[in-house]
Amino acid sequence: MRFPKLSFSAPALAGALVAIVAGLLVLYPVAFLLQAALNVGDPEARPPTEYGLENFAGLLAYPQIILNTLTVSFAATVMALVIGFLMAWIITRTNVPGRRFFEQVIVVPYYLTPLLGALAWSLLGTPESGFLNQVYRALGGSEYLININSPYGIAWVMALFEGSVAFVMIGAVMKSMDPALEEASQVMGASRLRTMLRITLPLVLPGVLGAAVFVFAEMLGSFAVALVLGLPDRYYVVTTAIYQLVQQYPPKIPLAAAMGTSLFVVMFVALFIYRRIITAGSYVTITGKAFRPRVNDVGRLRYLLLAICVFYLLCAVVLPLLTLFYASIQQISTAFPKLSNFTTEHFYKAFTMNAATTALGNSLWLALWTATLGVTLMGLISWIVYRSKLPGASVIEYIVMFPQSVPRLIFAFGMMWAWLIFPIPIYGTLWLLLIAYLTVFLPLGVRTISGVMLQIDKSLEECAQMCGAGWGYRIRTVTVPLLWPGLIAAWLLLFVASIRELGASILLMGPHSKVITPAIVESWFASSTELTAAMALIQTLVVAIAVSILMAVTRRATTHITD
Amino acid sequence: MPDRKPHIEVENLEIHYGDVPAVRGVSFSVQPGEQLTLLGPSGCGKTTTLRAIAGLEQPSAGEIRIGGAPVYSSAQRVNIPAEKRGLSMVFQSYAIWPHMTVFENVAYGLRVRRESREAIAEKVERALDMVQMRAFSGRGASQLSGGQQQRVALARAFVFQPSVLLFDEPLSNLDAKLRADMRIELRELQHRLGITSVYVTHDLEEALAMSDHIVVMRDGLIAQVGSPNEIYNRPRNAFVADFIGSANLIRGKHRADLDTDGLIALETPGGVVHGVAHGRPVGADITFSVRTVHLALSPQKPAGARNVWPVRIERSVFQGDFSQTIVLWGDQRLVIRGTMEPLAEGSEAFMTVEPRRVVLLEE
Repeated sequence: MRFPKLSFSAPALAGALVAIVAGLLVLYPVAFLLQAALNVGDPEARPPTEYGLENFAGLLAYPQIILNTLTVSFAATVMALVIGFLMAWIITRTNVPGRRFFEQVIVVPYYLTPLLGALAWSLLGTPESGFLNQVYRALGGSEYLININSPYGIAWVMALFEGSVAFVMIGAVMKSMDPALEEASQVMGASRLRTMLRITLPLVLPGVLGAAVFVFAEMLGSFAVALVLGLPDRYYVVTTAIYQLVQQYPPKIPLAAAMGTSLFVVMFVALFIYRRIITAGSYVTITGKAFRPRVNDVGRLRYLLLAICVFYLLCAVVLPLLTLFYASIQQISTAFPKLSNFTTEHFYKAFTMNAATTALGNSLWLALWTATLGVTLMGLISWIVYRSKLPGASVIEYIVMFPQSVPRLIFAFGMMWAWLIFPIPIYGTLWLLLIAYLTVFLPLGVRTISGVMLQIDKSLEECAQMCGAGWGYRIRTVTVPLLWPGLIAAWLLLFVASIRELGASILLMGPHSKVITPAIVESWFASSTELTAAMALIQTLVVAIAVSILMAVTRRATTHITD
Repeated sequence: MPDRKPHIEVENLEIHYGDVPAVRGVSFSVQPGEQLTLLGPSGCGKTTTLRAIAGLEQPSAGEIRIGGAPVYSSAQRVNIPAEKRGLSMVFQSYAIWPHMTVFENVAYGLRVRRESREAIAEKVERALDMVQMRAFSGRGASQLSGGQQQRVALARAFVFQPSVLLFDEPLSNLDAKLRADMRIELRELQHRLGITSVYVTHDLEEALAMSDHIVVMRDGLIAQVGSPNEIYNRPRNAFVADFIGSANLIRGKHRADLDTDGLIALETPGGVVHGVAHGRPVGADITFSVRTVHLALSPQKPAGARNVWPVRIERSVFQGDFSQTIVLWGDQRLVIRGTMEPLAEGSEAFMTVEPRRVVLLEE
């Protein structure tokens, strides 16, 4: 039999406090989301007067949205997987020229954000004014070459940017496979093809399948691309439909809530399946050890593979950035440059226009606070979950990881609804955004910090305890100094994520609390595309600076650890 | 040593990991200044027991007293946190903090205790002297070899004069030769400091060489407690006999009619064996244990009538310091280790053993 601890120690108190904070941050909005979804009485009455499932039944009146969502998500998942698998195979298993370089830069699309990609591809590929289509017509083509506003256009842009996520996941599986497993098969006399079919494929399959489910879940919840490319043609997927239902007048809150709840149930199930696949299949390949994969000599074919890599980076990185830059320095952007058309006025405007500068200032302020408070909170949570042995630590872990399976837009929706009736009037202020960021980035921060924490031998802390050091002293003299690289990495990741945040901000920002990413979207729809391009580039620059510091820091930290 | 109160007392200790019992009711005590070793195969609960004494693991029942005062007691609902128990510990991984110098590592416990700068400098220097690491004082911890880290960990553990030192397999990460040297050094240091210590190991030689008393553990229970000599020469059961060095087990029927000179007789297909009971109860079916090194082989029949049997040499393997021979004796195979010349395989020989080396097991 266990008996309860009587003395309340510092870690127990801190644990309780963190559990309350995390619980409040995560569960409070979710509760309100569910309440709104089940409200079948007067939509304005709070709390609801009647509960029921009619809102969910009402979803069936929108078969088009469900069909659109599935079409786009499915197409995008297939494309992203093809990109991810192909790139992973080329880079980890063949002797393509410049593998080291590609391995480094292949994750750049992930940092560029789908929003930036959507803006750039919109400039390139709208049927009438897209640069590519202008060139196509000038060369004698009729109508248009590509239509980026079509479902497959949307899926294409989503896949370009999610492709690097698929690459990272599949590449990790390929790298963690012991080449001796394949060599053993060949030594036993199996042909290359047989080895490929009977050994390599079964070993990699769980990882690829896992990546497929994960990417599909991400696609279901993705928002920015569908918003920028789908809205002009009124092509709605579930996330943009929810946004529309909340923003329109009068808003249809219960219906939006039901839609959001359904989406998040589907994503939850998908991520649950993903975890099952990963844990079930991991025993064969994942030994926690990285192997040097066997490199296949592909002969002449390697130049074709090189071309594929270059083409991908061109579509996902070079072309979007160049397009935005090209558009931002023209008065009215067109595919055919004219000297008189060039100007720097958009950059000047972006730096002087009140709306843009306040939004950027607000975003920087928010990013600094989110990162600073977040690292403290998430560091504490990581310690409690992975080190403290406190009862209920696994429950806390579950709660803080929960926002991962809810699209940020939907989380923000619950939050909007929850904080609207909160006695302290923070709705429409930056404080609400700060709370929102701290909530939706919980999984990101906790995963980053705990990843480093788990590499630190537990006995280093225990030894301090045996030397007589109390909890606070131990944390200050041993845990924090050892965790420092992880904390800095988490700080920068949170900073970058806050600057780029769209889904939560777009619903929660008020007229006096604008932030940069939604401001970019607003400017895209309301004012000029050229100014928007300039703003997006400025934001990208801020992110790029933060990311390069991040990379320098983590590189130093990893060489430090491996010393 | 005069009769004193035990320094550490562990009573009916039980520890669970979730629903899995790791320690299932363990009691022992350690006298002041004594070194006690918890010995057993991996998973026997020895490290868990040590960590419970340290306060790093929360038991589910029982009591632990240090200097007479309970630091953990399920009955009295006491659980003093590790940092307030006044103990110290050397970890298996050494746990040298990589972000501090050797000096800072050793000074840590003194700084926690808010000692003056001068006192710290002096004590750290003395401790580093004792482990011959003074020259490395300013080094970063990552520049040390395994043996050096071990010494620093040791100095750090005793520098603040804890009442008890705990060792969690401190030598298991060192190579064989260094381990043998450190074993002697550790033992000397422990004598010089006179600190009560509890030592955990799965290495028999280490336990025999370093301990005043040994607690042999198996599956969360104590298999035997005793001095190294007792444990080695008078194992209580087959597990201890076999785990503590290698032993042959001989089973058979007690022949009370053949008992002579205080020896008891056992009938086996290979012949009659005489051994000692050490006051243990003698049943009808009994088991003797005899160590592989205590059996001797000779080509000619030796003088004396007791405990001499003809055997056939099945296999003889030269292993360096000794050779190992497997003989067929009656319907059973026995292992014999010794420095004798290997005998030809398939040849006949005679096996003898002194009756006092043949020990009755309790079962």
